[in-house]
Amino acid sequence: MVSLEFETPFNHLFHLIITESSTRSRGGFRFYRDRISVNRRFIPPELMDSSPVMLPCDGELSEKIIIDTDPGIDDSMAIMMAFQTPKLEILGLTTIFGNVSTKDATRNALLLCEIAGCPSVPVAEGSSEPLKGGEPEIQDFIHGSDGLGNVNLPAPKLKKIEKSASEFLVDKVSQYPGEVSILALGPLTNLALAIKRDSSFVTKVKRVVILGGAFFALGNINPAAEANIYGDPEAADIVFTSGANIDVVGINITTQVKMSDEDLDELKQSKGRHARFLWDSSKFYRDWHVKSDGVYGFFLHDPVSFVALIRPDLFTFKKGVVRVETQGLCVGHTLMNQGLKRWNSDNPWTGYKPLSVAWTVNADKVLDYIKSLLMRP
Amino acid sequence: MAAPKKIIIDTDPGIDDAMAIFLALRSPEVNVIGLTTIYGNVYTTLATRNALHLLEVAGRTDIPVAEGSHVSYVKATKLRVADFVHGVDGLGNQNFPHPKSKPIEKSAAEYLVEQANLYPGEVTVVALGPLTNIALAIKLDPAFTKKIGQIVLLGGAFAVNGNVNPASEANIFGDPEAADIVFTCGADVLAIGLNVTHQVILKDHDRDILAESDGIFAKYLSKILEFYFSYHREAYSMNGAFLHDPTTVLAAVNPSLMTYTEGVVRVQTTGITRGLTLFFNKQKRFNEETEWCNKPTVKVAVTVDATEVVKLVMERLM
Repeated sequence: MVSLEFETPFNHLFHLIITESSTRSRGGFRFYRDRISVNRRFIPPELMDSSPVMLPCDGELSEKIIIDTDPGIDDSMAIMMAFQTPKLEILGLTTIFGNVSTKDATRNALLLCEIAGCPSVPVAEGSSEPLKGGEPEIQDFIHGSDGLGNVNLPAPKLKKIEKSASEFLVDKVSQYPGEVSILALGPLTNLALAIKRDSSFVTKVKRVVILGGAFFALGNINPAAEANIYGDPEAADIVFTSGANIDVVGINITTQVKMSDEDLDELKQSKGRHARFLWDSSKFYRDWHVKSDGVYGFFLHDPVSFVALIRPDLFTFKKGVVRVETQGLCVGHTLMNQGLKRWNSDNPWTGYKPLSVAWTVNADKVLDYIKSLLMRP
Repeated sequence: MAAPKKIIIDTDPGIDDAMAIFLALRSPEVNVIGLTTIYGNVYTTLATRNALHLLEVAGRTDIPVAEGSHVSYVKATKLRVADFVHGVDGLGNQNFPHPKSKPIEKSAAEYLVEQANLYPGEVTVVALGPLTNIALAIKLDPAFTKKIGQIVLLGGAFAVNGNVNPASEANIFGDPEAADIVFTCGADVLAIGLNVTHQVILKDHDRDILAESDGIFAKYLSKILEFYFSYHREAYSMNGAFLHDPTTVLAAVNPSLMTYTEGVVRVQTTGITRGLTLFFNKQKRFNEETEWCNKPTVKVAVTVDATEVVKLVMERLM
């Protein structure tokens, strides 16, 4: 019997190989991720183990990121991981609806900056509704009514900045052209608005890593759609077809990485700087997984996407044009052209720049990496 | 041995349809009681002509041919047929003579309903084209879904790209509304999608063997296959051709050549992914009721013993 996962000899897919250079000039470390080559390049052994690949750079900052987020319990984990990663310069957080309303997302982002002891990180509030308008559906049954597992934190002392999320994104990317990476953890409204605001955004942004979609797999809102894309399908289609340098991580990948009850115990007992807070917050999220998926523990959607940003070597990617359905039964469905045949005529996938779709993940190493960051004192 | 299974082949011949029809006629496990025709590889009028022609080649003009719908379920006229795959005549541009025989008076949908009533629970429909005729039969007689034995259909692309565009397989794309009706009608439906048929490949070498055979079907097919093979070389850079329709006939002949999974299939009828088949295995609980809830399940082929399928096709056609 032949298995469902087949690759016939006519499959001419280019497998995206991410090549890395370990040049340690001035203690920095850079990715070179634009190369597509057929042969995997030599990766130095020190980069193959599970310890953080980024070398501490003595105060020198070499990776600038903005996190667009709807915190959200697993968002909180990803954000805390980012704060725990020494070489990252977090230019700011931008907020969006999804797990919570945009207003609550802003409150939670400010709270997370306070808890992390990073009050100087700006928080810019994003759109309160999807591009086509209308009240967004909020996932309070997954993340609690406060978005953080009903832990009842007091209101933050910090204030959001005046700029909107899309203004902030455009400004920062223009200020540091080719240097800023964006980690998008919610619906893509703010990114679409940034592209609409300034078309040079797509060439100036270094890289956009998106948690969204379900590639050749079931969705989590309904069989066709994943929640972030479903939240604003029009925005997602604009971003995916924008021509920016995009890596997308779907739930076909993120559901392979689970935080089990045992892992949670380990986290609770660890000396991790934010371990206790994250453990408290994640109980609600864990209980929902038991109910919804029969999973004792939870999927690490947002943390896995963060790891895809800083440790792409733990993933493989395939290149293809991705379009989002915006109508009908399958609204929010992400469909990737795998490039298996020459089409007889043009179709809606023709003429767009391919993006990198995460195809496999080294789940054990990603989990180890996530745990090591969360348990870091 | 049990009495042969009665089958009606709903078809748009089509080069691989021709193979499938001959294969069915050579399979003792099934008794082909009729052909119904549909647009797809060719327009319906030509599909009828080709069906009659193929039965004449086989010396089986005793089998009735009922002409099917010329337009889709929502009455859209077809703007495009796959002449680049099968040739303008649908049979590899061989200039075959006009058939002498004629289709029966009844429409395909009427014929399907009649036969299902005549032999309740005994007739298997093997649907090799867009599902318009089957949907019209259900419309004509809602009890058709209970009376028909099984519907074995070639259609869809389950968790893989389509062949008309990245979202859609040709038969479903040909009439998505009809397909959604058939998938959710409650009949015993078995769907064979591209995820399975793309694994079953007739190689150049196999075609050479057919050409050298004295078998009437083998000789005939080796000629018309040339056009089909050259399309595959161009579109897929492969030396061989997919056996979509023959694989589907063999699923009706011997279901144990494949493995199946069961779930609800819905078809997208609008937007850029029109014709997308989306399978839900009912494993996950969603927070809200979805369009896949409370619908009857169908069986979808998951794996295939491709070596055995090709072997059977070769043996029976020689």
